[in-house]
Amino acid sequence: MADPLLAVANLETYYGPIMAIRGVSFGVPERSVVAILGANGAGKSTILKTVSGVMDPQKGTVTFAGREIQGMDPDKVTRLGISHVPEGREVFPFLSVRDNLLMGAFTRRDAGGVAEDLELVYSYFPILGSRAEQRAGSLSGGEQQMLAISRALMARPRMMLLDEPSLGLSPRLVKEIFAIIVRINRERGVTVLLVEQNAHMALHVADYGYVLEVGRIVMEDTCARLLEKEDIKEFYLGMKETSVRGTRRWKRKKTWR
Amino acid sequence: MAVMTERSADRAWTVFGEDTLPRLFRHVVRERGRRVAMREKELGVWRAVSWSQYGERAKHVGLGLLALGLRPRDVVSIIADNCPEWLYTDLGTMSVGGVTNGIYTTDAARQVEYIVNDSGTRFFFAANEEQLDKILEVRARCAELVRIIVYDMEGLHAFRDEQVMPFDALLELGARYGTEHPGAFEDMVEIARPDDLAILVYTSGTTGPPKGAMLSHRNILFQIDYADYITAVHEGDQQLSFLPLCHIAERTFTVFSPLRTGATVNFAESIDTVPENIREVAPALFFAVPRIWEKFYSGVALRMRDATRVGRLAYHWAISVGARVAERRIAGRRPGLGLRMLFRVADFLVLDNVKRSMGLHRARGAATGAAPIAPELIKWYMALGIDMREVYGQTENCGLATAMPADRIKLGTVGVARPDTEVRISPRGEILLKGPHVFLGYYKNLQKTAETVVDGWLHTGDVGVMDDEGFVRITDRMKDIIITAGGKNVTPSEIENQLKFSPYIADAVVIGDQRRFLSCLVMIDHETVAQFAQERNVPFTNFASLCRAREIQELIGGEIEHVNRRLARVETIKKFRLIEQILTAEDEELTPTMKLKRALVNAKYKDVIDAMYTEA
Repeated sequence: MADPLLAVANLETYYGPIMAIRGVSFGVPERSVVAILGANGAGKSTILKTVSGVMDPQKGTVTFAGREIQGMDPDKVTRLGISHVPEGREVFPFLSVRDNLLMGAFTRRDAGGVAEDLELVYSYFPILGSRAEQRAGSLSGGEQQMLAISRALMARPRMMLLDEPSLGLSPRLVKEIFAIIVRINRERGVTVLLVEQNAHMALHVADYGYVLEVGRIVMEDTCARLLEKEDIKEFYLGMKETSVRGTRRWKRKKTWR
Repeated sequence: MAVMTERSADRAWTVFGEDTLPRLFRHVVRERGRRVAMREKELGVWRAVSWSQYGERAKHVGLGLLALGLRPRDVVSIIADNCPEWLYTDLGTMSVGGVTNGIYTTDAARQVEYIVNDSGTRFFFAANEEQLDKILEVRARCAELVRIIVYDMEGLHAFRDEQVMPFDALLELGARYGTEHPGAFEDMVEIARPDDLAILVYTSGTTGPPKGAMLSHRNILFQIDYADYITAVHEGDQQLSFLPLCHIAERTFTVFSPLRTGATVNFAESIDTVPENIREVAPALFFAVPRIWEKFYSGVALRMRDATRVGRLAYHWAISVGARVAERRIAGRRPGLGLRMLFRVADFLVLDNVKRSMGLHRARGAATGAAPIAPELIKWYMALGIDMREVYGQTENCGLATAMPADRIKLGTVGVARPDTEVRISPRGEILLKGPHVFLGYYKNLQKTAETVVDGWLHTGDVGVMDDEGFVRITDRMKDIIITAGGKNVTPSEIENQLKFSPYIADAVVIGDQRRFLSCLVMIDHETVAQFAQERNVPFTNFASLCRAREIQELIGGEIEHVNRRLARVETIKKFRLIEQILTAEDEELTPTMKLKRALVNAKYKDVIDAMYTEA
């Protein structure tokens, strides 16, 4: 296999004295969709923040397209082609939808290309086109998520980091948004690193998955194979074999195999 | 060394003048009354149970079982992690003439089925919903089973089944039965005779199905009569209970010995919290299997690697002072005044902190047993100032057979025969035991019993030698001895113990029977190896990828090479492979005490093993 577009090796990141990432290594091949699954507090968001430069690691390397980028400022990372869609969207509430999108293109000087991409994201998410002049703060949660993804896309990234795009959205919206993520990947060739608690969705969309538990990777495999694992079924997909009594409260021990 | 006589084998062994467990239990409950017998952590607070409460609850269990139709010699099985209810059930059952039997909580439903049927279990105590499900799954095939009693009903309040009842309901039933039948309990306490069957202990057999070893009241009382053989135990001394109660060593330590010593038993919350619980309890007495001692040591070794330069220097200085004291003691000499003073300084500045970090700063006595241990490890604990003694024994002799005496230490041996017993080495090199601790036989298995006990001599299946002072050195399990294709005899466990002394190796199985050379399968210590990889910037994801990393292969290769240098040439390990799966106690490859089972590992990893011998 060729070198992956993004390679993370032995990453350690702290929040003050708390070690959130305890030595994590993984790779994301170009044009693929890779998912990182994990429970609350496993360290998923911290990984994305460390990759995008929002946080600096204490140790380890992040290599993007052959270049070490750990500890780099976020704007430089963005210029290199990585767009981060943070958890909770974080759109600019008092700016219009259109201005929000243009903020996403701040690194670019090609006005023509920006206009083209604006049309492109409107085609992905027509609702944004019809709300272009509305203040972003007045959008619904789902629309804000669409806006956040679109804003990231406006930088014409080689790679997008998506932090819990399904958070707080209705099942139908989740489906819609994931369908667009797949399209962005297939049509635009954008590599996607996705962090999700919604394992069901993530595993059906991604090619390859890693499972993170308390700051360490405990499992990795193609998503097709992960879907077949007992631990994934019980702990991430909520499927249980029923017992002789018909119900079961206790959990098996995780073995990660 | 045969100082024992026929007389002591037949003598009635008594503790406080009582000759059966029910009588002894009744005696100490009266004597100790409101003093603390045990503690259990509930919602973060340690709650005490007094001896009277202990006695009362055990009595109600016994009466409840009588009310449900228990007959003398009926078998009662318990599947639960260590908890006070386990003890109430154990002594309550015996007090009314029943026989108790523990089942490992890690056993799967089909193993539970085997044991329930083999023992003819009539009453089954399950810890909780999870354990209940196992017996419900197989009960249709358990003809003798009358009732199932559940300790913790969480998640089961809506569950109704006429065969299943909550533990609390059993206690109430027992209390009622007691008022309706005054004197019933007291009568039953008297019926047991010293040679009657008291408990069944299923041995976790590495080959074939498990066998139920029958232990009598006399066997057990004989053992607890020497409960302070290793170290003096005082009433109120703290001890922690966390190894499986199904194992005779923990059963004796937690249930039986305190009847004699009055030590307070503290139950660990779960196996994961043992390190914290030890620090909270700071036990005066600590019994553990080598695996636990190895883990403590690895933890300290790793912390030292992360310590500052000054910290490391201080540690190495202090431990070398301790080692010198230990060496004097091993040589049977008292350290000089200068060295004793130096040790006090080292202890004050460094060693005490190391012991505190493990929770062993109050440990007056520490024992290791149930599996072989590297002598270096014992020496390390001795250097810390912990009086650690190796003991040896098996289920079939109710626990202790030999122990390291206080006044004469020979590392690498398991000490000398305990008082009033005999040890002999057979012409084939097998260790034989005789004494009042030799069991009654295997339950409903006359043939196996006859093979195991011949003319009163228990055949241990262990190969060993005894020196002129009576110190026994175990070389291996008889059936584990490897004869290489070149005809050399190799005792794998000696090599394995050396390997396990490495902080990176959790366990290893040496292979080479009928083969050209020796090889081994290694189970790495996940925590320490992951930390090693992280420190050296070795990228890895899951356990398998960690095992496959070149640097890790080299690390383990280096550890093996290190051991090889101390071995004879025919005994060196030429090749190795790592087991690329995290194994848990639920896996068949491991015993409940987390030892790799040789036969199973050999069979399960046959392809991997064969590959080592076919490749160039």
